Amino acid sequence: MKKITLGAGSGYWGVPPDLPLELVQRADLDYLGLELLAELSMSILQRWKNKDPSKGYVPDLIELMKLILPHTLPKGTKIITNGGGVNPRQAAMEIARIIKELKLPPVKIGVIEGDDVFSGLDEMIKKRIELVNLDTGERDIGVIRDRIVAAHAYIGADLIIEALREGADIVIGGRLSDNALYVGPMMHEFGWSFENPDWDKIGAAVTIGHIIECGECVTGGMSNFWKGNPEPWNMGLPIAEVYENGEAVISKTPGSGGQMTVNMVREHLVYETHDPKSYLMPDAVADLTTVRLDQEGEDRVRVSNMTGKKRPDKLKVQIGYDDGYIAEAMFMVTWPEAVKKARLYEEIIMRRLDKFGLKPRETRFEWMGVNCAHGSVAPLPENEDAVNEIGLRAVAKFNTREEAYRARRFAMGGSLILGPVGTGFGAPVPERRVVALWPTLIPREEVHLTLTMMEVK
Amino acid sequence: MKKVPLKDLAWARSGDKGDISDLGIMAFNEENYEILKKEITPEKVKAFFKDMVEGKVEVYDMPNLMAIKVVMRNALGGGATKTLRWDETGKAMATAVLRMEVEAPG
Repeated sequence: MKKITLGAGSGYWGVPPDLPLELVQRADLDYLGLELLAELSMSILQRWKNKDPSKGYVPDLIELMKLILPHTLPKGTKIITNGGGVNPRQAAMEIARIIKELKLPPVKIGVIEGDDVFSGLDEMIKKRIELVNLDTGERDIGVIRDRIVAAHAYIGADLIIEALREGADIVIGGRLSDNALYVGPMMHEFGWSFENPDWDKIGAAVTIGHIIECGECVTGGMSNFWKGNPEPWNMGLPIAEVYENGEAVISKTPGSGGQMTVNMVREHLVYETHDPKSYLMPDAVADLTTVRLDQEGEDRVRVSNMTGKKRPDKLKVQIGYDDGYIAEAMFMVTWPEAVKKARLYEEIIMRRLDKFGLKPRETRFEWMGVNCAHGSVAPLPENEDAVNEIGLRAVAKFNTREEAYRARRFAMGGSLILGPVGTGFGAPVPERRVVALWPTLIPREEVHLTLTMMEVK
Repeated sequence: MKKVPLKDLAWARSGDKGDISDLGIMAFNEENYEILKKEITPEKVKAFFKDMVEGKVEVYDMPNLMAIKVVMRNALGGGATKTLRWDETGKAMATAVLRMEVEAPG
């Protein structure tokens, strides 16, 4: 039975480069996915591109390619990535430059564009396509229209398949959905198509893609099984051996740390998947409740019985818009009477905000070491004398940078010396811009994708 | 029956999409899974998280993984990019829920 091997070289912007390097050095992969985007990334990259039109791709992509290409190209490993961000064409040109510099063999790069729907928004509004905010239910996009930074559709594997059919060695796009990076190669290699779809098979591809797309989150990273997790400092990345019957075996970088067990895959199948009967992706709706997991050998998990349904008619769009500024400060108050000292600092800050007429849209105090991560679920200390220190984190949101600056200058940072003895200050945090997200759905036909093949000789 | 924290029955992991906090609670064994199915309800989860979860809570079964999925809306203070919380993406919601007490035989 035909089998292909896919590796996940990155599951986020910021992966330590030794992880994907060891993966491509030690494993023989047919395909390597480099997933580099989070929900906010496109807005950050768009802002960079607005300042400098030659930017807008994820800078890590170039760093990773320099390390990886000398290993993947001789082995014939094809690379699929969404690290092109808002400027996949420029990223492709940078990669072409690396290939020439390193005197690597000639390649074909497929560049996917058109996920940027910003310029089409007004047309959609005119056509009365409702861009309902999926988080809040708000219907009137008009209230944020003049503050929109970026709008990108999460796109599927269609043009990855086409690029591979045309012989691409590297496929680079923008907001390709994370798991399309893996669905594309599976559909191409096994001849699964959207024209004559077997939704169980494509659902299996989506499920396998989901299992590996977050990189080391499935090989022991962020795990409940952290005790006894072998050498987390040498963590491996996941590998999927996929068979044309739609089954797969998940393993990890040979000779690496971390682990690949049924519980690892289990942890990832419940991760960020919402309704598990309908895991919605642009390429299919996967049903994760039929999946069967078996430990086939050491660090090898067989995944079978995957099913799916027809892909959705609409695509998710993430709209990023400017939404004010955050001022933040931290005071490390200490024993004795740390709790009372933290409360006094809170009062000082509130009274000084008031004194300068600063009215935050929201204010929040968190006590590091007490309730910073668990919020109101965390129990407050019964014995206050047992509390050695509290990191009082004060955060406030304003409409303008000026207000956030003044809050920091006069009420939050500036009041440090006004409080009790023994407080540690640390380095000040500058005020920061907030880009909020407005997730919505639009009809597929509103997204006009293009593929450009670039030959690098 | 006695009250036990979820920590004694299950593992959990959490992530985000926008302002949605998404929890996966995985039972140690079949016996515990039966308890989770009965005890983890939208009402109980919402009450447990108090002001942290402002929206609707949905609960789904995953018998194949002995797991319960909990999807909580308006649960991250506006979502990772807007929230004033330190735990912007709600990764610690998973360990928080392990404090939730449920009724177990014994």
